[in-house]
Amino acid sequence: MERRSVLKWAVRGIGLATAAMVGFPTLIAGFAPVWQRRPGKESWQAIGTVDDFPLGEMRKIVVTLPEEPWGAALREKAVYAWRPSEQEAIVYSRSCTDLGCPLTFDPGSQCFFCPCHGGIFDKNGERLAGPPRRPMYRFATRIVNGEIRIDLHSVPLMA
Amino acid sequence: MASANGIKNKVGRKEKITERFGYAAFRDKVLRRRVPKTSWYQGDGSTLTILLVIQVVTGITMTLYYTNAADHAYDSVRYITDQLAMGRLVRGIHYWTAGIMVVMLFSHVFRHLLLGGYKVPRQGTWTIGVFQFFLVLTMSFTGYVLRWDERAVYAARVVLNMFHKVPVIGDELVLLIQGGPQLGSLTLTRFFSVHVWVVPVLLLSLVAIHLYLVVLHGVTSRAEREQPVATAEEHKAMYRKAALSEEQGEWFQPHTMFMTGLVAFAVFSIAFILALTIGPGELYPEGNLVGSSVPREEWWFWWYSALIAQLPPAVAPVFYVAFPVLLFVAMLLLPLLDRGPNRGARRRPFWTVFVLVCVIGLLWLTDMRTRSSWTGWPDPDPPSVPHGVVLSEKSAQGRLLFARYGCNSCHAVSGEGRRVGPDLADLERRLSLAELHGFILAPPEKTAMPAYRGRITETDLERIVEFVLVAQTFPRE
Repeated sequence: MERRSVLKWAVRGIGLATAAMVGFPTLIAGFAPVWQRRPGKESWQAIGTVDDFPLGEMRKIVVTLPEEPWGAALREKAVYAWRPSEQEAIVYSRSCTDLGCPLTFDPGSQCFFCPCHGGIFDKNGERLAGPPRRPMYRFATRIVNGEIRIDLHSVPLMA
Repeated sequence: MASANGIKNKVGRKEKITERFGYAAFRDKVLRRRVPKTSWYQGDGSTLTILLVIQVVTGITMTLYYTNAADHAYDSVRYITDQLAMGRLVRGIHYWTAGIMVVMLFSHVFRHLLLGGYKVPRQGTWTIGVFQFFLVLTMSFTGYVLRWDERAVYAARVVLNMFHKVPVIGDELVLLIQGGPQLGSLTLTRFFSVHVWVVPVLLLSLVAIHLYLVVLHGVTSRAEREQPVATAEEHKAMYRKAALSEEQGEWFQPHTMFMTGLVAFAVFSIAFILALTIGPGELYPEGNLVGSSVPREEWWFWWYSALIAQLPPAVAPVFYVAFPVLLFVAMLLLPLLDRGPNRGARRRPFWTVFVLVCVIGLLWLTDMRTRSSWTGWPDPDPPSVPHGVVLSEKSAQGRLLFARYGCNSCHAVSGEGRRVGPDLADLERRLSLAELHGFILAPPEKTAMPAYRGRITETDLERIVEFVLVAQTFPRE
């Protein structure tokens, strides 16, 4: 091989090696949340007792999310909860299933309205209008000794 | 003699200094060159460049005060706006320049679609421009998340939801952008990093390449619009001829610089006046996931929001991913697909119609968003009664119940109120008492109205029906 082409390859090699030595650790660090900060399997939290939720009445309550290593931002999160029957509790995320805008419950029409693109859901979380394709996100719930608990990780990450 | 030598030495010294700093080459190759005559509208490119520089300067100034920790970010923006000397103006310039930059970006792209500015030899210039286009849009979005007010938090969540619709890796993308399992401190830090470092570094590098290519291949000239140009060689000869000719050419400095600089200054002046008079984007309550909120994107995205609101559920989730991807791919492929020799709006009727449709569509959708007639919302106030109309006691009670049962969350009466359902004074066909009764208790399937059967008393229903019967006779809007 000619001296010139050896040198050309050497230049490329040095460049690639430098790029890899810096690029590999920085990319890994930048992308780390994808595997390092995945939510755990389940995270159950009590939201009140059955007596706090009169049958048939929609309540907006605030749950406190687990603290993040970077401070206390947005730990308080409102959810909607109601009891259709003695044995049942339904807890919704306020996130519209279209693009995540905050749903507001209208006690008059008993509908959830999305303020962004016209999503409307009925009290059972079923879609009535707008672009959302799926019903409202429901948290997994348990009633244990009269206490209603929800699994915070049972709705999508950004809901 | 001595003084003549002195002048000569002085000139020589100056020339040496300009040479040592590379200015002489720049001056001779870039500034003192002949180019084809420039029309005023070709100043959109230099306007974008100047606006970008203004964004960098005002943005850097704000980073002297802005805190990207989620528990202080909002307060720091308030400080910049309300207390910092000239802070309101600096933020205002940054805000309005951002919006106007998006407008100019669209007009720049449209102009090149009209002229065929992506054709030989400028395919590279266009391709770099496509990346710049998406980077500027990224900037114009990530910027208003940094305010960390209510709207910012929901803006971030909207984008996260869009990425969540990406097949297979939706969750991973959300974790990557959100920075963790929940929207919070790390989300803001990442948006800050993208807005202040990642995208600007990429964007400024691409601007440098784009401008280099503009100098190398020249701007679209009048001559090439008048007759077909098929090859790079043909183009080069034609461009050179126009540039060197007395009638068709001009000096880049000062003629082109003056014309394009004037356009840039005029456009920036609009941003400056808006910053002085209206001020920066309004700050809403600090970001939270608790309160009832009506988030709205910034005005340069209104058209997109209105478009989304029209989507049927079967299309919406696909659209969020497919639209930007297809737009990107289509823009990249354009120079490869359209290789015909014709340039200029007159020779390209398809593109003229296309651009016209796009512009009208964008304005129309933007206007639609200002009305947002698709949004239902609780409203405690019953509809007003037209002047001169006296309601019976029963229908007056019905009017109050109309609001209590949330009918006015969706229905307008005589043009006043929400437009999700039909305006009750403007129905296609007036409904009878029995029909109204039946409709309210059990609306027909696929009607976006909740059934009231089982949760309304017979008396209340009769009163509401009585009011609606009268409302049907109210004057139409």
